Order: sequence, then structure tokens, then C-alpha cells
Amino acid sequence: MMRFSFRLLLQALVVLAVALVGIGNGQSLQALQKKANKDKDGLARLDINLFMKHVVSETKDYSVVVQLTALSPKYKCGPCKSIDASLRAVSRGWKNQANKNGRDIVFASLDVEDGEEMFQQMKIDNIPRVMIFPASKGPHAFANPSPREMSLSQRTSSALGMASKLSDLFGIEIKAQVPVDYAKYLMNAASAAAALYALYLVYKHINLRTLGRNVWAIASILFVLLMTSGFMWNRINSPPYMGQTRSGDVILFAPVNNQQYGVETQVVAVSYAVCAMCVVALVRHVPKIQNTDQRTFVTFMFVVALVMTFSYLNSVFRMKMPAYPFRMLLP
Amino acid sequence: MAYKVFGLTASDQTSLLRIAILGLISIVAVGSRLYSVIRFESVIHEFDPWFNYRTTRYLVDNGFDKFWNWFDETAWYPLGRVVGGTLYPGIMVTSATIYNALHLVNIPVDIRNVCVFLAPAFSALTALATYQLGKEVKNATAGLLAAAFIGVAPGYISRSVAGSYDNEGIAIFLLVFTFFLWLRSVRLGSALYGALTAIFYFYMVSAWGGYVFIINLIPLHVFALLVMGRYSNRLYVAYSTFYVIGTLASMQIPFVGFQPTFTSEHMAALGTFGLIQLVAFASYVRTLVPSDQFRVLIRLSILGLFVVGFGGLVLLTMTKVIAPWTGRFYSLWDTAYAKVHIPIIASVSEHQPTAWPNFFFDLNMLIWLLPAGIYFSFRELSDNHVFLILYSLFAAYFAGVMVRLILTLTPIVCVMAGVAMANVFEIYLDFSKTKSKAEAVKAEDSVMEKKEREIQGELPAAKTIYETAGFKRFYALFPQIVVVANFLYFLCMFQLHCSWITSSAYSSPSVVLASRGPDGSHHIIDDFREAYYWLQMNTKPDAKVLSWWDYGYQLAGMADRTTLVDNNTWNNTHIATVGKILASDEDTAYELARHLDVDYVLVVFGGMLGYSGDDINKFLWMIRIAQGVYPDGFKEEDFYNAAGEYAIGDTASPTMRRSLMHKLCYYRFHEVMGPQGFDRVRKQKLPRDVTLDNFEEAYTTENWMVRIYRVKDLDNYGRSHHAASAFEGPRFKNDFVF
Repeated sequence: MMRFSFRLLLQALVVLAVALVGIGNGQSLQALQKKANKDKDGLARLDINLFMKHVVSETKDYSVVVQLTALSPKYKCGPCKSIDASLRAVSRGWKNQANKNGRDIVFASLDVEDGEEMFQQMKIDNIPRVMIFPASKGPHAFANPSPREMSLSQRTSSALGMASKLSDLFGIEIKAQVPVDYAKYLMNAASAAAALYALYLVYKHINLRTLGRNVWAIASILFVLLMTSGFMWNRINSPPYMGQTRSGDVILFAPVNNQQYGVETQVVAVSYAVCAMCVVALVRHVPKIQNTDQRTFVTFMFVVALVMTFSYLNSVFRMKMPAYPFRMLLP
Repeated sequence: MAYKVFGLTASDQTSLLRIAILGLISIVAVGSRLYSVIRFESVIHEFDPWFNYRTTRYLVDNGFDKFWNWFDETAWYPLGRVVGGTLYPGIMVTSATIYNALHLVNIPVDIRNVCVFLAPAFSALTALATYQLGKEVKNATAGLLAAAFIGVAPGYISRSVAGSYDNEGIAIFLLVFTFFLWLRSVRLGSALYGALTAIFYFYMVSAWGGYVFIINLIPLHVFALLVMGRYSNRLYVAYSTFYVIGTLASMQIPFVGFQPTFTSEHMAALGTFGLIQLVAFASYVRTLVPSDQFRVLIRLSILGLFVVGFGGLVLLTMTKVIAPWTGRFYSLWDTAYAKVHIPIIASVSEHQPTAWPNFFFDLNMLIWLLPAGIYFSFRELSDNHVFLILYSLFAAYFAGVMVRLILTLTPIVCVMAGVAMANVFEIYLDFSKTKSKAEAVKAEDSVMEKKEREIQGELPAAKTIYETAGFKRFYALFPQIVVVANFLYFLCMFQLHCSWITSSAYSSPSVVLASRGPDGSHHIIDDFREAYYWLQMNTKPDAKVLSWWDYGYQLAGMADRTTLVDNNTWNNTHIATVGKILASDEDTAYELARHLDVDYVLVVFGGMLGYSGDDINKFLWMIRIAQGVYPDGFKEEDFYNAAGEYAIGDTASPTMRRSLMHKLCYYRFHEVMGPQGFDRVRKQKLPRDVTLDNFEEAYTTENWMVRIYRVKDLDNYGRSHHAASAFEGPRFKNDFVF
């Protein structure tokens, strides 16, 4: 990913802004807050003029936290949405906070669509980003009022992390108000109810004593398949479900040896299961067939399925580990 | 109809063949572990083996009593370490015994060679033990296949190549053999085998911390059998004998001590021991009481016991009578625990979860034979099979959570794969049935033909190939041949896979590195030993060397100098202090280093070679560990630059540039890499103006991988070192002044 000089951007912004200075500060704050009040989360949606006039201006007695983002669906910017959600949670928390200690902090958002020229001019190809323009005068002025950017690590990308980072910066407690995810609770409650009902049905209709062994066998085999196909890795590292190439094609297998996508676990577990099933069928099912021709045919079928599945696993493994020298039937 | 060959009957031939095959398996098992010795030399590998080697040498030189009471004042300076009480002595005692036995028969072998070749020798024993286990659960065919698998499976080779002188090298043999003895004692109900199980369990306890797996799996097996209603006197005899002798014996190891009586890891065994006594009592009562009353009695007492037992356990844990689970075990159950609470565990790459390619890498086709093996075990489900299934489930879970535990999964996967493969071969290698069938068809055909000829009154026409008896027999056998050929193909692929993995991935000593030039030439990179020998030859014998804990054992083993921290990470605070020194600015670090009496600082730096496992890449973990103990003044974020990157050189954050680690690694590095120089690991531009006043460069190895700095003594005129160097002027520019 290309990076541009942050300092260059700031200088350019300040130069642009100097041309537009001359508006009173009180007015500036009011204009921003008017915008902010229009939004239900108190996140002022700026356009390029407002941004230049009220945010980048050199002297002001209020601070602005602004995200540069691209939320329109045509940009397909996933991180933008999650940063937007976090910033909105922080902004909502600040809006509803009773004790602001006389601080004026405005949360704002500048979308590519509202300031495309500026984004182009500044060669900003790296969004989303969150910038902080601190107050330079008044009782809460910063010692170093130069604008700064918040580094978006995994921690600071979450609403709570962002809030605590901003709290540290402004020296006042800012609480994020994360919306309650009712859908999730509902889903969990529904699946719990369904599981209970299923248990009840099993208890009511199925005689566990006769079924016992098969159920246990299936459960054990499924468990082992999951464990040996990297399920725990997914639980702990939570990778994306699938990958994407630059041209937008879906890829199922991460091209590195020590990484995997979520879907890989499923593909691999199914392949293992097919191989194991072929072996079991060859031992248990095939010898019972009486008709010779039929038996021959079924035997070949299982052997082919086994060889092809194993070759498929082998070829995937070769793809992940290019130095591996052995190939089977598939490339 | 059996033929006699050399006057041997068929069964004699079979056993002779078995012995020959097992011999060959042992030879292959040992042979495939010798790549590293052939390519490099007979050298101890990696980190922990150096400690084991050093203690073994101490044991051989000073005798067992001294070894047992050894207080090592050169480790964990200034704290020291009680070595005898904090290690598993099994491997050292084993090597020393072998060494003494060989010397007794006048074979003057060097102790280093005993240590280097111990793990391969034990791998041959593991193959034999696995054969016994496979034979115990199915038959000799399964046993031979399982032995062949474990002989070469990379999952086990990874820990037992020549030179990797570590506990696991002998522990896997002990694990498999203990389980074999246990299964046999359950099957026979024999107190003798129960006692043997306990003795090998004791050997295992003395050799590896993984013994906890045994002491939880065997009780679990017993518990499962009890729940399945399979209580028998055999089980009672086997478990009671094993538990009593095994526990008493295990408490003789000082490192274990009284743990079996109060830690949670051992409570399952104790609880099961109590339970089986109650069940035995109940089954005795049943012979005396009518069945209806007995049922009520048993239900009530089970409920009561459960409430009392579970409540008691919770109470005892809460009042800290029973020690709660230790951190490493927490990280097995709650997988996020280590990440949040114990950075020192999370920092070790062996403790990471396992992605699927790792399983395929280490076990290849065995991994999909495991589910098939589980299926076959469920078909039969004898007491032995219950054990195999439980072992598979738990080992699979642990292997999924931690990469290094593929090691404990490997034996059961080999056994299960052996069972599955034996089932296939039993059916498809048995040509007798089809042969008789084909003969029957042939006879039938000839009868039919005769009749036809009689009816038609003709001479037989020339037969087409489809009608010949040979073709018919071939047609009947063909599917079998295909199946057998297919599995033979898989077996060959497996062997190729294992040899290649062993040779390319697991045979590097990591003390000595090898690289290939673009023209295919072979280069040996021996910087580590160069640096350690420099320290040994050029510093005073009691010099204290500060380095990150990874290199502690090697420093002690090869340089024979005092270290501050080492791979026995028992004191987190001390490690954090070292991390703090390396992460602080020069002055703070100097002050701390003088407090700790440090003479030399050693850093490992891969920027010249592109060696990515160097200290700069480990640095974030040092900061995290230091931050955990010294929260004020340390922030991980300060080491990222404005763009949120972990960078070096001029784009790094000021804190990073000021840190001692950064200075020690890049000091004067641009002079050798030229003005356009790049760090070959980070692929970033080098910093130009790295100044260093409180430390002076003492030695840098050929490829700059190890850099050693001397902590300067106080200035003779009482100046700060900065003032002194400012006065003396830049040292290396003076040359151009004239």
C-alpha cells in the first residue's frame, strides 16, 4: 500500500485554510454543532468548505475529531464502515455525556463524495483515517496544537479502545456508547431454544441405548475432523471467511503455509471425511456385495474417489507450500 | 497348505518375518533422524537441549548426589537456580547410565555423542512399543503398520532428530509403552502389569512434564468404562495398583513433590481412585441386597456423592487448599487466556494454535486415516478401544490448540492408521477366497461346455481370450489388485513425504545455519558458536552477559558465562527487567545494567543476512513482557511510528530510535552496508546517526548475526559518558582530519 507524507498533507491543508480564515470562532463552532445536531449520533457530516473553514483553521478554541472515509457502497470499503461505527459510538457517548467539563469537542466525518477534489489533490489513497485537530486557544488549548492522526491499531479501531485513546489525549473521560446488538441476543436465544427443543425431541422419541454407539461415533469423528482441520486456529485467530484477489475473484485457500481462511477448515474437513469414508466403505460395505460385476464397479468407484480426494488435498498443500516436490494425480 | 522353508513351519516363518520387519523399521527410524549429523556435525541443537547437555555433563562429572543438590549460581544472576529441584532428571540419568554402561565395557564414547544419538535410539524403541500397542488393540499386522508409521512420521521426528537432546526424545517412548502396559493390565486384570505401568509412569514423570496427560487419560478411561457399566475386577486391580504405586513413585521426583495430592491437574486421578473403590464396594453390596432396593440405594448414593464431591472440590479450590490450574493449562482450555494474561507463553511460537497445513505436514495421509480408525474402534468397542477413542479425542483437541502437542497426537494417529490400514489389507490381500471362487467358476464352465458340446455334437471352437480360465481368474482378482496397488502407492508417497519433510524442515540444528548461494554452493553460517567461543576465550570467567532469554541456555552451555535470564522462564519479573533494559533509552539502561552487575550485552541481529528470527523481530514481545511488570513509563504504542507501523531506522518512532535494542543492532551498521543500505529482514532504510556512549562494541561476528557490547566502566574523571565522548570527538571521523 502506498503511503504519503503526512506532514505534506498537513502543510497543504494549512495553506489552503489560511486563505479561508477570517471567520469568527464562535460562529465556527456553532456551524459545526448545527451540523452535528442534525445527525442522530452527533457526528457532523462535513463538506470540503466546512472542513477547510472550521476544522483546519489555525486558531480555534474547540477540538475536532474527524474521520476521512468513503462510506458509499460503490467504494466497497469495509474498514471504513467499522471505523465509522466505532466513531459514531464514541460520538454518541460524548453527545449524551452529562459532565463535559466545559470542553468543546466536535466529532465529524468527511466523505470522499463530499470532498473528492481535496482527496485527489492531497493524494489520499489510504482511508479510513481519523485525524484530530486540537484547540489552539482558550482554556483548553493544547501545548502542541498541530493536527495529529490517530493510529488505527486493532485496539483503537474498536469503540472502547478509541474512546480510551481519546480520553488520554483530551484528559477527560470520554465514554463510548456501543449500541446493544439485539439481533445477536435474539439469535442466541433462538438457537438456545432450538437446541433445547431438539434435546427434548431426542429425549422423547429416540432410544439412546440403541442409538448410543452410532451417535457417539459420529460425534467423536466430527470432533476429531474439526480439530485436525484447524478449527481451533480459526477460533483463536478469527481469519476472514474467504480471500479475494485484486481483481475481486474469490479464493478459498490462503497462499501461505501458516495461515488459513475460514472456509479452508470446512473444505479440508470434508476432504478428510471423504477419504475416511472411502476406506470404511472398502472394508465394510464392498465385501458384502454379492454380484461380482457390481462389486468390481463399486470398488473402482471408491478407489477413484479416494485417490482423487487425496490428490486434491495434495495439490492444495502444494499450492500453500510451493517448495513441496511431490505431486499426485492433480497438479 | 503351508510349506516348510529352511525347515521352519509357517508360524515360525511369520515370527521371523516380523522380527526382520521390526528390525528394518528400527533401522529406518534411526537412519532418517541422522540427516543433521551427516550434513553438519554431531552437535546439540537449539536451546533447551543445551541445558540438558550441560546438566548431563555435570551429572557425569560430579556424580548423582552433587547433581541432585546442584545450586547453579551462574544462571538467573543474581538469584541463581536450584537445578536439582527444578528439572525432570529422566533424560540426564538415562544418558549418564548409558555412558557409564558403555565405559564399563570399555567403549570410550564421548558424552556429547551419547546425548546426540539418544533420541534416535529411543525412536527405535518407540517403534517397538507402538508395535506392541497395535498388537494389543488389534493384531500383529496393525502393530507392524503402526510401528512403520511412527518410525518415520514427521510429527514425532520433529522432536527426536539426532542432536535434539530434549525430554520429548525419550518421553514419547515412555508414553506409548506406559499406555501399552496399561491396556494389557486392564485386559488381563494383572497386578504385575499394573505395577509395570506404574513403574514406567514413574520413569515418564521423571522425564517430561507431559506425564500429566497420562495421569488424566488413564483415570478418564477408567471413568468412561465405569459410566458405560463395564466395571470389572480386572479394571479394579489394574487401576488400584497403578494409581497407588504410580503416585507414590512420582512423588519421589523433587520437581513434582507433593503436587499429586493438591493440584487440580492430579485431582481427576484421585477422584477416580475414590470412585472405583465405591463402585467395587457397591458391586459387593449388590451380591447381598435384593435388586430393587439396590437400585434405589445406588441412585441416592451417586447423587449424594456427586454433590459432596463436586462441592468439596470447588470449596477446596476456592480456599486454595487445592492449587488452581496453572497458567499453561488454562491456556489449553480457555484459548484466549494466554493472549490476555501471559505474554511470555503467547510469545513462544510453539504455543500457537495449529492451522491445518501443519497437520498435513506432520502426518500426511495418517490424518485422514484417523477418523476411519475411530470408526473401526467404535465397531468393536472393547475396553481397549474405548481408550483409543478417548486418546484420539483429547490429543486431537490439544494438538489443535498448541502446535507442539501434535507430538502427543502422533502415536495415536499412527496406531489408528495402522488399525484402519490393517483392516483394508486383511480383506484385500486375502486372495484365497477369490481363488477358490474363480476355480469354482472354471469348473462350472467346463461342465457347461461339456454339456453344450454334447448337445451340439461339435468339436470345441478356438476360445477367445475372455473365456480362458486365466482371464477369468484375473478378472475376479483385479479389483483386489487395484485396491492393494492404490494403498501401496499411498504408502510410498507417505515415505517420500516423511523423508523430504525430515530432511528439509526438521534437520537443521538452528545453532549452525546453512544457506545456498544462487549458484547452488553451500555456505555454513556459524555466527552463534563464533560469538559464544569469543566470549569463552576473551572474557573473564565470571563475566555476566545480558541477552534475551532465548539465548540463555546456549550462553551457559557454549560460552560458560553467567546469564541473567534463560529458557527456564520461571521468574517473569527478572525477564521483564531484562526487557526493560533493552527497551529503555541508553542512560536508563546503563543505570539498570550497572545495578545488575552486567558486563556484556549480547543481541542477535539478522539485518545483514535476512535472518528473520532476530531480536528486532522479537522486540515487541520484550516490550509487552516488560510492560506487564513495569506498566508506567512503557507503552507498546510508543514503539510504532505515526503511521502505526513497527519501523526501524529514520522512519521509526523516537522511542524506538532511542531504545537500547535499536542502537545496539544498528550501531555502525550503515558503514558496512553502504549509503543506500537496507535492512534485509525489514526491507527498510538504515538509520545513519546511531550514537552509543555508555556501551562499546566488543565483538561482532562474521555475518553480524551476534553483536556483543561491553558495558563501560565509570569514567575516570567522573564525567558522564556522553560528555566524555563529546570531548574525545567522534572516534572514526578522526582518521580523516589530517
